[in-house]
Amino acid sequence: MRFVSRMKSFLRTLLYRRQIDTELDEEIRSTLELLTDQKIKEGMLPDDARRAAKIQLGGVEQVKEGVRAVRAGAWLDTLLLDLRIGLRMLRQSPGFTAVAVLTLALGIGATTAIFTLVQQVMLRSLPVARPDQLWRIGDAAHCCYSDGYTQGDGSFLPPNDWSLFSWEAYKLFRANTPAFEELAAFQIGEGNAELGVRRAGSPAPVGTANGEYVSGNFFKTFGISAWRGRLFGDADDQEGASPVAVMSFHTWQGKYGSDPSVVGAAYEINGYPFTIIGIAPPGFFGAKIASSDMPDFWLPLTTEPLIAGATARLKNPRLAWLDLIGRVRPGGNPKTLEAQLQVELHQWLASHRADMTSQEKALLEKQTLHLTPGGAGVSLMRENYKQALWLLLMAALCVLLVACANLANLLLARGLKDRHQTALRAALGASRARLVRKALAESLTLSVLGATAGIAVAYAGASLILHLAITGPDTWVPVDAAPSTPALLFALGISVITGVVFGLAPAWMTSHAEPIEALRGANRSVGGNRHWAQKMLVIVQATVSLVLLSAAAMLGQSLRNLEHQNFGFDTSGRYLVSIDPKISNYKQEQLVPLFREIEDLRAIPGVRMVSAILEAPLRAWAWGHAIRIEGKTEDDGSSGSTRVTPGFFETLGDKIVMGRPITDEDNADTRPVVVINEAFAKRFFGKESPIGQHFGPAPQKNAAMYEIVGVASDIDFGDGLQPIYFLPEAQTTHFDDAETEEREVWSHYLYNVVIWAPGNPPGLEVEVKRALANVDPNLVVYGVQSYSEVIHADFAQQNMIASLTWLFGAVGLVLAAVGLYGVTAYGVEQRTSEIGVRMALGADRGSVLLMVLRGAFWQVGVGLVLGIPAAVGAGYLIASQLFGVRPWDPLMLSAATLLLGLAALIAAVIPARRATRIDPMEALRCE
Amino acid sequence: MAPQPTNLLQGTLDLMILKALALEEMHGLGISRRLEQITKGTFQVKPGSLFPALHRMEEAGWLTSSWGESENNRRAKYYRLTKAGRRQLEAETERWGRISLAIAQALEAS
Repeated sequence: MRFVSRMKSFLRTLLYRRQIDTELDEEIRSTLELLTDQKIKEGMLPDDARRAAKIQLGGVEQVKEGVRAVRAGAWLDTLLLDLRIGLRMLRQSPGFTAVAVLTLALGIGATTAIFTLVQQVMLRSLPVARPDQLWRIGDAAHCCYSDGYTQGDGSFLPPNDWSLFSWEAYKLFRANTPAFEELAAFQIGEGNAELGVRRAGSPAPVGTANGEYVSGNFFKTFGISAWRGRLFGDADDQEGASPVAVMSFHTWQGKYGSDPSVVGAAYEINGYPFTIIGIAPPGFFGAKIASSDMPDFWLPLTTEPLIAGATARLKNPRLAWLDLIGRVRPGGNPKTLEAQLQVELHQWLASHRADMTSQEKALLEKQTLHLTPGGAGVSLMRENYKQALWLLLMAALCVLLVACANLANLLLARGLKDRHQTALRAALGASRARLVRKALAESLTLSVLGATAGIAVAYAGASLILHLAITGPDTWVPVDAAPSTPALLFALGISVITGVVFGLAPAWMTSHAEPIEALRGANRSVGGNRHWAQKMLVIVQATVSLVLLSAAAMLGQSLRNLEHQNFGFDTSGRYLVSIDPKISNYKQEQLVPLFREIEDLRAIPGVRMVSAILEAPLRAWAWGHAIRIEGKTEDDGSSGSTRVTPGFFETLGDKIVMGRPITDEDNADTRPVVVINEAFAKRFFGKESPIGQHFGPAPQKNAAMYEIVGVASDIDFGDGLQPIYFLPEAQTTHFDDAETEEREVWSHYLYNVVIWAPGNPPGLEVEVKRALANVDPNLVVYGVQSYSEVIHADFAQQNMIASLTWLFGAVGLVLAAVGLYGVTAYGVEQRTSEIGVRMALGADRGSVLLMVLRGAFWQVGVGLVLGIPAAVGAGYLIASQLFGVRPWDPLMLSAATLLLGLAALIAAVIPARRATRIDPMEALRCE
Repeated sequence: MAPQPTNLLQGTLDLMILKALALEEMHGLGISRRLEQITKGTFQVKPGSLFPALHRMEEAGWLTSSWGESENNRRAKYYRLTKAGRRQLEAETERWGRISLAIAQALEAS
């Protein structure tokens, strides 16, 4: 009953505010009249009576304010009133509003942009049903397959900790763990299966795509249903079932123009017939997030032997290549489940005791696994970008801090300017709380406006970051620059916090106005503490800007160091073409002729040399494995290996320091030879000459396999200068154990063509592509890149961090300069008469200029004193991101200091020059 | 704003206003006069407290108001108890009785 009545008056207050106010006015007036009548009746003169009545009533406005305050919805009413006043005041000073909103937009925008990415990369769950029920067997994100019955090398990954599994182990877990409603397996890593896809019978060239092998119950486990057609199930994941594939929505829309005829159509995948049975729903990108090569197609696990042929891993129990995520039945206890899975792992390992090496047997008891929440999927991207994103979030928060300090300063200066008006309000009976509330409403209005503009900045910023971080036109990552709901809430949240925190203090300070000041008139009194607060804010800005700038300088230098380090060969004029003979269905015996034809690309004008290599330098790691040297007993040596065509060393400009390079003479008819690098020679032969020595992959019986004919100077393959050896493409040896033999077979499928074409020949890419199409239209070609582009792409993440930190540093610097300018200009304005007196008493313009500059640089100086240790501290925090730069780098630090000093000088000189132009007479006349 | 009597008196002021209006409808000044009268000058309600209280009680549904003519032909806003107001008066009176009795006993006790 009482509630209904309150609600009614609440609505009345809202809807008929004006009428109610008029009525209240009238009521008070009539009371006043009645009171006056009464006083007159008691014998007072009319004028005295009126006065007495007014005194007894005690202030008409105060009574009215008291009544308004008790009304239902009063808070809303005053809020609307405050907002209206706030908006009106902002409209009246568009310059102030623009600067404040822009400042906030930059701060909030930068923070929200980074938060958008943090949220999507770090915090987001997979877009699937009930992600909370999903649990993953394993805890580390792996890039690459693992070989053997132990896992976790103890350096990058915790030792003896299993995170990926073979098909056999997966089937065992799935069959013996009823606590999982479903347990799905999917191929790990970023690489996926490289597919060449073409519609059956179509004359179009083969399109490249990424495939991911997943278990038949993959879609069922994640609760996904088809967008078009159907998704495959366990029945399709059987040996002998007709091969099917599911396409991702993103690919269907992007590459196939949402063509409905795709569903149910026959396609050739790597030359084998497949049926595309359906399209996955929009937004579903699988169970892993990577910064490249997201799957376009999902294929059943059992189709892997068909596509991979001799190199199939499906039935090799030693090869772990599957991530496992399962849906746990409601009520299941993860701890019990984990213990059970550990037991199952040991049972499975025990069944392979006979196949284990002696080291593996020794470590058998220590092998373990962990169950971790799987709702966010498996994300290499999360691992890769974790540090970078947190670093950028910190930098963005620094920008926000500088921006907020500016806002507070602007509000403070403005509040001081309006002191007269504030004092007048106080004199007319406004309470301090009311004045603070009015000022708060103004700062909140500002910050909400700033957040709105900031969201636009955030969208642009996040797009820029994605563009910087993910180079390459074909790469797509399931990260969207558009701010998500959490990001919008985040922006709103920080805008409210900044509005309140950085509005409250100035509001409190400036609302402290003595009514008497209003009557006194001229701006005589200056509250010392307000000025002090302004200076403090400038000091904070200088400090934070210095930290940002020095971090940016260090990261920028680190990037330059990375890109211009000595890779062991001259990158200029060198180009890289990625091809894939394997998915183009080449037989092994066709490879040597193919590469011989490719070498003829040197007929293209401007091209000097062409050759091919398995894994290109700076592009990938060379496959590392144990080797045995003939005549030596030590058995802990390992080296990388790769395979090249004749002319490789000359094409890349890699000098042969001893012996000879690989030539056309090294073919199937001659003895197996090898060229090693200097690191190899130093590691295994020391001062001895390696020429003529023999070695081979472990075990010992292969030690006489290759004869060393040459030593090449070291080049960087992407993991520094490691021992590596080069085998000729035209030679093949045979091994007893299936794995090394398999490796031997597929190492002949060279993935990279290196071209030496100095002097930037125009149109090279088109020419190369045309020539390769002439060689074989079915050959899958990914693209032509200059080596400087390759290097750039290698360091894309570092580039992104450095660029953004620079951007943040620049924004911080500009904001800090604006802040310093504001405070100095305000100070000069306040001291106009003082400066006038000084000049009248004989101070010259130079000393006035110096006086003002001294004041400004005092603040910057304190900022530096605080900022330099903070910058060094920040350097230590980001030390892991730095290459060839010490966290405590005097050069970088002085560069940042100089930059800050320069900006401060510009910001301070303008008001200082204004001070020197003060006319003493005029200044004194103001008094 | 003038320092108000304590919180205890917040409820008391409501009770007094309800009591003052129990017999007849009155305008604001009339209520304040009546209160002074019936408390023999102990209670002097300032307009700064009276009008907010009246509006609050009207919103609570205890009072209703209408414009009328005053004794010397001035327009004035008259307040009147509603049914809910009467119930509130009874409840408050009963409560006050209990409280004052309790306080009186407490003061006599030692």
